[in-house]
Amino acid sequence: MTPRSITGLGICSTIGTGREAFFRALADAPALAGAELKPVLSFDASKYSEAAVAEVADFDPARWLGDKGLRSLDRLTKLLVVAARLCAHDAGLKRDGAFVVGSPEQTGLVCSNAYGSLEAITELDRVAVLEDARYINPAKFPNTVANSASGYVSIWEDLRALNVAISNGNCGALDAVACADIYMASHRAETILVGGAEALSEALFLAFQRVGMLESGARVGEGAAIVALEDRERARARGARVWAEVVGCGAAFDAAEGEGAGVFHASKEAMARAIHEALADADVAASEVDLVISGVAGLRAFDAFELAGIARALGKGTPVCAPKRLLGETFGAGGAMGMAVAAAYLGGLPPREIVQGLPPSRVATVVVTAMGYYGNASAVVMRKSPD
Amino acid sequence: MANNERVFITGVGVVSSVGMGRAAFFDAIRTGKNGISPVTSFDATPLGRSYAGEVKDFRAADHLTAAEARRMGRCSAMSLAAARMAIVDSGIDEALLRGPRTAVVIGTTMGEADVIADLDHAWIAGGAEAVSRTLLPKYGSTLLPIHIARAYGVQGMTMTLPGACAAGNYAIGLGADIIRAGRADVVIAGSVELLQQLEFSGFVRLAAMAVSRCQPFDLNRQGLILGEGSGVVILESEAHAVRRHATAQAEVGGYGLSCDAYHITRPHPEATGSIAAMADAIRRSGLTPADVDFVNAHGTGTRANDQAEAKVMNEIFGSRRVPISSMKSTLGHCMGAASAIEAIGCVMTIETGIYPPTMGYETPDPECDLNVVANAPATGPHGVLLNNSLAFGGYNAVACFAKPGVLPHPREVAASLGARS
Repeated sequence: MTPRSITGLGICSTIGTGREAFFRALADAPALAGAELKPVLSFDASKYSEAAVAEVADFDPARWLGDKGLRSLDRLTKLLVVAARLCAHDAGLKRDGAFVVGSPEQTGLVCSNAYGSLEAITELDRVAVLEDARYINPAKFPNTVANSASGYVSIWEDLRALNVAISNGNCGALDAVACADIYMASHRAETILVGGAEALSEALFLAFQRVGMLESGARVGEGAAIVALEDRERARARGARVWAEVVGCGAAFDAAEGEGAGVFHASKEAMARAIHEALADADVAASEVDLVISGVAGLRAFDAFELAGIARALGKGTPVCAPKRLLGETFGAGGAMGMAVAAAYLGGLPPREIVQGLPPSRVATVVVTAMGYYGNASAVVMRKSPD
Repeated sequence: MANNERVFITGVGVVSSVGMGRAAFFDAIRTGKNGISPVTSFDATPLGRSYAGEVKDFRAADHLTAAEARRMGRCSAMSLAAARMAIVDSGIDEALLRGPRTAVVIGTTMGEADVIADLDHAWIAGGAEAVSRTLLPKYGSTLLPIHIARAYGVQGMTMTLPGACAAGNYAIGLGADIIRAGRADVVIAGSVELLQQLEFSGFVRLAAMAVSRCQPFDLNRQGLILGEGSGVVILESEAHAVRRHATAQAEVGGYGLSCDAYHITRPHPEATGSIAAMADAIRRSGLTPADVDFVNAHGTGTRANDQAEAKVMNEIFGSRRVPISSMKSTLGHCMGAASAIEAIGCVMTIETGIYPPTMGYETPDPECDLNVVANAPATGPHGVLLNNSLAFGGYNAVACFAKPGVLPHPREVAASLGARS
């Protein structure tokens, strides 16, 4: 792929909202890792034993968006709109809410979300079942539609080029990069805000608890992370600050064996193939990779396969870190959170949460990985900006 | 590496309320066969609206193995069935689909809405312990392309695009782009939607639904009628299609994407985003408006949509009255599935020269001054067609389909796009 510059980051995460707070928290990671579990605020967790979640506990959308027009928006939308707004300002595209670089017609959004607004769907289902479907709030119904949050971002941020929603589970935010590359290569926008979002809800927590995915230490998380992608030449010409470059991406799928096998499938082959494809796309050798930002999240059934796939593609000595130990499993946002972490480490912060290999002495080339639950896997290669 | 090859549709598969598969579907849409009837899958009568383009004949067991049917919800089953029909229609050796050079891109609005409803209802009635561990893994739109990829040994990219009512154009467009970018030789692309009670209720509450008839562009139109189904096409690079001596049914031209950034459910009253998307589809096909022979309308039958679409047609084509028609008058609005099913209708027109009729068109609306193909099929030039879609969230996607070989080569178009930017 043509190298793309990351000129802005917008993040709402359990460790901080905004790039500066996020980077600061990453620098303090050892202290965070030892912190005690906080009480769950999103839902009544008293009926669940050990409800370990990673919430954006101090999220205050009114601080960023004002207090008008928020009433009918769900949490997913608020997280995503705030991340997009922060990103556009961080990139210098906007100042005080107005475009100062580029235009609405040349600014697009490609955004991942894995499970939609379960909060909205379950709320309206309860009204329909316990009261009457005729009492469904029409102002809230749009939140049940899968591209609603992305659509609201365009409305709030006035982005009129393409708006593309992706639902590829944990791989979605990295696959969004692959799509954005295709869209930028065909001149559909000068800047694309790329990333993902997921919102915590009782339904989401319950689903993962019921299928036994939280038994080995994973925490259901939430948040939104968006990066601004621009052509290197354009970023250079406007003197933009470049946090890192995206230089390659890859995606692969490997089916579960046998007719009778269920849908869940962890594939080290797909992981290795996605990395190979991303490296080939970037024209980067495996030996050049200094660090892998993995999707390892504390899911026993998947982590070992992801690590094995990484080792197969890059060798066992390549250091691998697992930022989801800090951030929780943020599903559709996960890959974008990983890219934000990669930007921090490429910018000089010492890598934390190393789960395989030794901490690298320098970080100039990073592979960000994501492993889906169905045999799908994705990877993105990032490098330090040459400028 | 981008190769900007021509991309052909070499197979089509349809699950619809008017028929399954190419032959039945083509027969139905060219005669205006009605697929709208009283809903039977749930009791809609208390809502005051009870008609839809419900697919009453679909049985997963007719199309899927027993293990496949057990693994997935109805939405996935419909898209796998449509994919299977498309693969058979393309005549492709299934061995050619195996491996990393095939990708799957599927669009939708709500995905497995039935599954989440069943889970929710169990939770409401019986608490957390009543939520089924065997049903939970069937939820998630991510699964739509996964099931298809698994069935055929596909190892390339699997993508779900929840692009609402424009999802089919999004999926076919991205699928063609994936091939032009050199990331795959074959893409199984399309979209799917099922009729579901909460979605149905929501549209009633938005006051968007007609009682029993969808009458696009008619003065007395009352709104949309929901539908369901799936449309899937096989996209192949020219080199791949030629190598296996495949029949190119249509060529995928350029497509335009834009976002209104105006309102979450209503189109922009001046249709600026939609105009931009159509202009872009024409430009990205290397054409001018004068080259377009026919437009498949989004044509939902709501006052706002049809007026906006009329503005688009008048802005793009001026005094040239390009024929336009809406299949939603017979299929209902199949939401996420709509633009893929209708893209397959465009293939029918390209092959036969027949424009499918807009049924129920009785009284022209001065606000929609259009050359509507009214109540009976028409024939006419059929080299270049546009498939229009305006969706929830302000999404606009317009795709161009053409007789193979009619369009300028994508390499020339890509060069001109690069030169302009």
